[in-house]
Amino acid sequence: MTTTSVPEQEGPTSGRRAALWRQVMPLALLSPAVLVTLAIVFFPMIQTAWMSLHNYVLFRPKNFDWVGLQNYFNIFQDEVFWISLRHTVLWIVITVPAQALLGLATALLLNQSFPWRPLARALIIIPWALPSVVIALMWAWIYDSNYGILNDLLLRIGILETSIPWLANPDTALYAIILTLTWQGFPFFAVMILAGLQSIPQSYYEAASLDGATPWRQFWHITLPGISGVLFTAILLRTIWVANSMDVIFVMTGGGPGYSTYTLPLYSFLEARTNLNFGYGSALAMTFTLMLLGIVILYLKRSAKAVQ
Amino acid sequence: MKRTISALALLAGLAPGLASADSTVKFWYHFDNPENPMGDLVAKFEAENPGIKIDAMNVPWNSYYDNLYTSIVGGNAPDAAMLKMFALPRLLEMEALEPLDDRIAAWQGKDDILPNLFDLTRAEDGNQYFLPVQYVALYLYYRADMFQELGLNPPQTCDELRDAAIKLTRDTNGDGKIDTYGFGFRGGKSGHEHWGSFTLGRTGVALDASLTSDAGVAGTQFVIDLFQTDKVFPPSAPNDGFQEIIGAFKTGVTAMTIHHVGSSNDLVEVLGDKVAATTVPECGGGRWTTFGDESTAVLSNASDKEAAWKWISFLSTAENNALFNTATGQLPVTQSDTAAWQGHEPRFVEATQASLPFAHLLPASSNTPEFVNTVWPANMQRALLGQITAQQMNEAIAKLFTDD
Repeated sequence: MTTTSVPEQEGPTSGRRAALWRQVMPLALLSPAVLVTLAIVFFPMIQTAWMSLHNYVLFRPKNFDWVGLQNYFNIFQDEVFWISLRHTVLWIVITVPAQALLGLATALLLNQSFPWRPLARALIIIPWALPSVVIALMWAWIYDSNYGILNDLLLRIGILETSIPWLANPDTALYAIILTLTWQGFPFFAVMILAGLQSIPQSYYEAASLDGATPWRQFWHITLPGISGVLFTAILLRTIWVANSMDVIFVMTGGGPGYSTYTLPLYSFLEARTNLNFGYGSALAMTFTLMLLGIVILYLKRSAKAVQ
Repeated sequence: MKRTISALALLAGLAPGLASADSTVKFWYHFDNPENPMGDLVAKFEAENPGIKIDAMNVPWNSYYDNLYTSIVGGNAPDAAMLKMFALPRLLEMEALEPLDDRIAAWQGKDDILPNLFDLTRAEDGNQYFLPVQYVALYLYYRADMFQELGLNPPQTCDELRDAAIKLTRDTNGDGKIDTYGFGFRGGKSGHEHWGSFTLGRTGVALDASLTSDAGVAGTQFVIDLFQTDKVFPPSAPNDGFQEIIGAFKTGVTAMTIHHVGSSNDLVEVLGDKVAATTVPECGGGRWTTFGDESTAVLSNASDKEAAWKWISFLSTAENNALFNTATGQLPVTQSDTAAWQGHEPRFVEATQASLPFAHLLPASSNTPEFVNTVWPANMQRALLGQITAQQMNEAIAKLFTDD
């Protein structure tokens, strides 16, 4: 057995050393994480901002001409930017509330007592656990106008007379992908809200029942305030994720037909990665980052408050 | 001391051999075929060339060039890769390719390569960077049984194609719903090959300012009319890619489509003699089809260029080239393999040969990949859906090529 000897206090020098160590140690322990974050998050962000001020096309790597804010001026005259912005707004304001509502309903159901509840709780996580590409390919086949199960089902029960090319029709393509993303993302809300529900003391409901509160009033006055904190954080976090999410769109339609499913992250990605126009692509990414900054600041403030 | 010097001298003498033994060629390629014989080719090459290892990586086609360009800029490019001609201008601008002229001149296999293939794959600066490894030309697939049932002949002109497509678009089981469409149009990526056959063969039309001429606009309008007015494409056409057009043709959802010999074995397996082929129709005074090239090249960053050259020349040598093309389903580039070729039913090889006189490559321009990847699909889809006119679509494409 080994023992660790604690050095005796030998005066003001060792006291100062211990105090200094207490100050330095947290920083030393944090520094690897901070360094990694700086290298893989902040450095690329600064690089993106710098590239956005240049005319930089990847297949002409020697030409890196300073253009100032020209890329940003071009963005505001770019028809595809405005189309993408409109789609991005629709994408966020439909997907996040839909996921939240579906997640809330699921969490309330899973909070009830019923046989096989642990299994149901485990199964509900499947859409969230599946890779986005698998989900996108699966739903693309579901929507397929020739062999898709959705058309087949709707034709059989007589809702449709002819198949609808859900992903090839500009009126339905974006909403079809929104439904896919809603299905993928609602388990996140369900799990978060379920955790919130379990933290509400049962005695509140018992007291409310004795006072004659209806289930709806119990939900409104006990459940909702009880989960409001977790719900708000989840909505903020999910808004940032959904806003940035483009993998499902990329696999399902690639932005088409035409620009019908272009969102700003996808447009930025296609400009940079496919057209190799890193200058303009970076300017698009920076513009979108600035737009999202409000939500990010709100989330950071909330996180800081929670830590305090 | 003497012993130490002797040992060092021995090591120094062995050093080149050791370096050679460590030589690894990183090779990128793209095969759709799951029965990938690359392992057999690599094993054969490594047995013939001890000291050279091949690290062959099958990169998915959809992101092949995105990955390649970024790997070049990122300093992590392969030593050799399968490449198409449309990528050549960009790769030259990036100074990413090694000239092969001297090596080809000294290569025994050069005389066995089919005539004209070196000319077709020569760069505008007069150098040869590409070594051909396979080729195809696109032609029209049609359902012979459906044509026979309706008493139709294979279409030789755009008008005949339209007429046949209208007749072939029908409800075959009497449930009041269309279950066969005349033509399977590829509105997604690479669909410019279909559009090109209806547009670029017209007199005086090419991928330049002439696209905005009456003849050029008439070509695009012809495609739009087939979709919007005649309704002979499946409704999913604006988004359809390779899987969709071949899948629909196999299952009888479409009666015609355009593709190359690469899909013929798959189609024959399902449809047998019901599938036939002919050249793309003559439209507006001429014919145009895509020459589907594929070559290999040594990249300028290759650590051992000689080893990389040995590997790519091995792939374009008789017998090896036949094995390579058995996997890709395309046609060999060597005369000896062509003479003995039994990889496809003769009717599809004949349709390919008949298409060669009017088969074209896309322009050697840095903007061609942008045309293929984003400008054509986005504008064609918008035009099909009535969001822009044929004139606007052609103007967008012409602008891309004239702004260069």
